Amino acid sequence: MSRPTHNLIPGLGLGVIGLYFVIPLVATGAFSLWEGGDKYGLAAYAALIHQPKLWQSLGLSVRLAIQTILVGLVVLVPAVFWLNLRVQRLRPLFDFLSVLPFVVPPIALVAGMTTLYTGPDWFVGTANYLVVPYVILALPYTYRALDVGMRALDLKTLTEASQSLGAGWMTLILRVVVPNLTTALIGAALLTIAIVMGEFTFANILLFNTFAVYIDYVGQTSATQAAALTLLSFLITWLAMLGVLFTGRGGRGQVQIGGAR
Amino acid sequence: MSYLQLDAVAKHYGSRTVLRDVSIDLKAGEFVSLLGPSGCGKTTLLRIVAGFDQPDSGRVVLEGRDISGLAPAKRQMGMVFQAYSLFPNMTAQENVQFGLRVRRQDAAAQQKRAREVLELVGLAEHAQKYPHQLSGGQQQRVALARALAISPALLLLDEPLSALDAKVRVQLRDEIRRIQQETGVTTLFVTHDQEEALSISDRVVVMHDGVLAQVGEPAAIYGEPANIFVARFVGAVAELPGVVADGSGGMVTVLGRQVAASRARGMAAGTRVYFLLRPETVRLGPPDAAGMLHGTVIARTFFGALTSLKVEITGGTDCVTAAMASGDAANIAIGSTVSVNWDPDSPRLLVA
Repeated sequence: MSRPTHNLIPGLGLGVIGLYFVIPLVATGAFSLWEGGDKYGLAAYAALIHQPKLWQSLGLSVRLAIQTILVGLVVLVPAVFWLNLRVQRLRPLFDFLSVLPFVVPPIALVAGMTTLYTGPDWFVGTANYLVVPYVILALPYTYRALDVGMRALDLKTLTEASQSLGAGWMTLILRVVVPNLTTALIGAALLTIAIVMGEFTFANILLFNTFAVYIDYVGQTSATQAAALTLLSFLITWLAMLGVLFTGRGGRGQVQIGGAR
Repeated sequence: MSYLQLDAVAKHYGSRTVLRDVSIDLKAGEFVSLLGPSGCGKTTLLRIVAGFDQPDSGRVVLEGRDISGLAPAKRQMGMVFQAYSLFPNMTAQENVQFGLRVRRQDAAAQQKRAREVLELVGLAEHAQKYPHQLSGGQQQRVALARALAISPALLLLDEPLSALDAKVRVQLRDEIRRIQQETGVTTLFVTHDQEEALSISDRVVVMHDGVLAQVGEPAAIYGEPANIFVARFVGAVAELPGVVADGSGGMVTVLGRQVAASRARGMAAGTRVYFLLRPETVRLGPPDAAGMLHGTVIARTFFGALTSLKVEITGGTDCVTAAMASGDAANIAIGSTVSVNWDPDSPRLLVA
C-alpha cells in the first residue's frame, strides 16, 4: 500500500529543517578536522585537550553554572511557590520583572551592577561575582519553567493537605513541592547551563576567563580549534538534554508535570 | 460537655457576610453533616475548624480548649478534600505515612499504622501504587486512610465524594460511615447532596446564607422541616397555599377545598400556611367526591422501582407530585383525572 502524498509533505518539511541544522554542524565538524591542504585529522582536538586553559575555563563555567542554578532555585522556588499559592494578584509584576533581562542590554546591566554590588574580596574580586548577573540572565527561563510546573500542581490543596497532616512550610516545599517539580527544575537547570556556558559579555568585560571567553580567544588564534571547541560546547548541551530525557523516563513516576492524572 | 464547640463564628469577605454567628456543638464520636447549597458558608465553616481560615469573631473550642488561633498543622485534624489531594510523588503507603513521618514516629510503627489504615479502607494491596495508578475512588480512600493515620481529634470531609461517579459515590459514602463507626472518630462532613447527608449522618446541619437553617437528626430534617427553606432544599415537596379553617378539627382550606391536616390542630383559624406534601405521602385514586383534591396527571418520570406522577390540581396551576410503585403508576395515563389523597398526619404546615 502506498503512503498518501499528504503524509510526505510534513516529512519533506522536517527533512529541510533538519538539513538546515545539520549542514552547518557537518561543515563545522569537517573544518575542525582540516589540517591544511587536503589533510584531515584530529590535530585541532589534540592541541585543544592539551591546553590547560581550556580545562580551567570549562571548569570555571561549569562551577558558575552550578552556583547559578543553586542560587536561582533557592531564590525562585519559594518566590514562585508563594506567588502561585497566595499572591496571584502580583503575577503581572512577576511577569514584568522576569522579562527585564531581555530588555536591559547586558552592557548596561554590567555597568549598573559594578556600581551597585560591592562586598568582600572573595565575592567581588573573584568569578563568583558573575553569579549575580547570571542569575538575572537566567531569571526569565527559570521563572517560566517553575511557574509552569507549579501551575500544573494543585498547590492549594497539596499545601492544605500537608498542613493538616502537621507539616511545616519547609517540609511542604522540600518533600511535596520540589519532588513534584522535577521536570520543571531540570528544565530550568538545563537552560541555566546553556546560558552560563555561552555567556560572553559579562565575563569578558569583568575580565574572567570563562569557557565562552576562551572560545573567543581561540577563535582569534586558531580557526580550526575554535570549530572543534564549538562542537564540544554543542556536545555538552546534547549530553545535558539526554540526561533530561533519561531522568524524565526513569525514576518513580514523579517526573510528570502535574503529577496526578 | 460538647467535644467540638463552634461558638458564634462569623466571617466576612469584604462586604459579603459568609457566616453570621454560627454556633454548633458536636458530641464525641458523632457524625455531623453540614448541608446546604453553594455559597451557604458550609465550606468556610469547615475551613475555620481546620484552621485554614480565621473567623472574624467567635471561637472554635475542641475538648474545652480554644483553638481559634492555632495553626492548621497543630490542630491534629485529618482532612479529606474535594479535589484529589494525594502527593503525586509518593506511593499510597508513603502518602499515608506522611503525617506519621512529620511526627517523627519510627519507621516500623509508621509502616504498621499505614498497613492498618490501608486495610481499613480496603486498599492494602495497592499500597505501592502511585496516585496516578489509582482510580478516583481509590485515591479518595487513600486520602481517607492518610487522614485517619494520624489518629485525628476530628475528621473533616470537604465534599470528598463530589468528583466521583454515582456508583462509586454511594459505595464510598457507605464505607465512610462504616469506617467512622469502627474508629469512632468525630466527623464533620460537608456536602451539598442531601441524600449523602441524610444517609450517613447522626445529625444534619442545614445551612442557608451563612446561618443555620435547622439542626437535627436526618429523619427530623426530612420529616419536620423547621422552615420553608429546609422543606424546599431537603427532599421533594409539593407546596400549596393554605389557610387554617378549623384549628380544633384540624382542617385547612387548600385551593378552595377544606382538607384534613392534623397538624393544623391548635393553630388559629385564618392563619396562612404553606401546606406541604412529600411525594411518598400522596395517594392517587379514581376521581370521586370523597377525594381531598382533584387534578389531572400531566407528567410521568420513571425511576425504576418508583415512578413519580405530576398532578396539576383542578382550579389552579399548583402541582402535586406522587411517588408510587411503577407497576401501579403504569395504570394511570397522562391526562387522566385523579383524586389526590393523603393521611391527615402527613402534611406539614409552616406558617407563611
